[in-house]
Amino acid sequence: MNFLVENWGFVSKGLWMTLRLALVVLLFTTLISTLFGVLATLKKPLLSWTIHGYVELFRSIPLIVNVYFIYFGVPMLGLDLSPFAAVATGLTLWGSANGIEIVRGGLESVARHQWKSAWALGLRPWQIYLYVIVPQSMRAILPAYTGLLTMLVQATSLGALVGVGEFLKVGQIIIERATVMTGVSPAFIVYGAVLLVYFVMCSLLSWLSRYLERRLGRPVTRDNHQGVS
Amino acid sequence: MDFDLNYLLAQWPALLDGVLMTLRVSLLAITFSLLIGVLGGAARVIKVPVLAQIVVLYVELIRNTPILVQLFFIFYGLPAIGMELSLFWSGVVCLSLWAGAYQVENVRGGLATVENGMREASVALSLKRSHYFCLVALPIAFRTSLPAMLNTAISLLKNSSYLQAIGLAELTFVAVDRIATDFRAIEMFSAICVIYLVLVAILALLTGRLSAHLQRPFRQ
Repeated sequence: MNFLVENWGFVSKGLWMTLRLALVVLLFTTLISTLFGVLATLKKPLLSWTIHGYVELFRSIPLIVNVYFIYFGVPMLGLDLSPFAAVATGLTLWGSANGIEIVRGGLESVARHQWKSAWALGLRPWQIYLYVIVPQSMRAILPAYTGLLTMLVQATSLGALVGVGEFLKVGQIIIERATVMTGVSPAFIVYGAVLLVYFVMCSLLSWLSRYLERRLGRPVTRDNHQGVS
Repeated sequence: MDFDLNYLLAQWPALLDGVLMTLRVSLLAITFSLLIGVLGGAARVIKVPVLAQIVVLYVELIRNTPILVQLFFIFYGLPAIGMELSLFWSGVVCLSLWAGAYQVENVRGGLATVENGMREASVALSLKRSHYFCLVALPIAFRTSLPAMLNTAISLLKNSSYLQAIGLAELTFVAVDRIATDFRAIEMFSAICVIYLVLVAILALLTGRLSAHLQRPFRQ
């Protein structure tokens, strides 16, 4: 643990980079998932098949291949991407594929009669979405989506492989330095500490998600238990 | 950027070696992870004193940390305290431990669906606890949790690509290695994407058949 304390300035920089990467990925993943998740529920064959194809493709390819593909492949098409942008793009493409599926599944989990009832009550389509469908779908979406968020935070460690100076990379550099200077590799302690820090971060996220799930799930659950026989 | 199919054909032997390595690591790890899953799931459901708590801790630890860090910990960290594992076995151990945590949850979920009536019936038939568990509960749980187990196995197969990071010559390693020398990224990545898709499809097909076979006595 000493190493982390001695190199605190360096370590905090790495943590900040991890956080930034996670936030960028989260932001774009959420935007894309929401947009295309909603589009996928509209019954437009061409559109929903395209989205379905995208989802299946990116969920079947290993995440690391995805990141490498962006990192090595895109520059060959003439575009210049920084390692940060490459990892962020790779993770966002993968995260969106999962996110779209979660949003679509959540929206479609809301019973069909809710649409019809809202329609019969004279609500406009956007009102149906906003006041009827979305609140109810949150019950299915939120737990799964926070699970995805935890996975995305973990996946930011892939940045270490393409040279983004995030938390895991910082750990690697600290080990290399200490090995050169003292001749003994502190790999066990440093990687142990890195594991521990990720564990604390992700456990907090899981805890937060369970809390949110309870808070948001409560009223919907109660009504459902009374209403549906 | 033109797509050079001849290049891929020339690289086919190397890719095939990578595929075989991926398969070897994955199949070994899938087997071990299932073992961990059954033993760990059983320990949790039967509530074996100390062991059940250890399993909970293990599952939480694995699920809340990146597999890449776990891999580095096993491959670079453990040798520092004298626990040296070869490249291949580091990979197998890492993937087994990772997938094992998920399999524990799958098995536990499956065991939770076994009705209480089964247990009562077993008591009435004077089956031992161990007999009830092995001959009644586990087979039923296995059938219900098979789809979840398949998902974990598929994830394991895909995650075997992480072993590229420690230098095990599996499929992704071969591809990245070749790209570093030949700069044929588009061809290589297209090829390995297709290969991964096919491997996943084969695994899904096999399990689908197994599932159909297991469901046969229950079909009307």
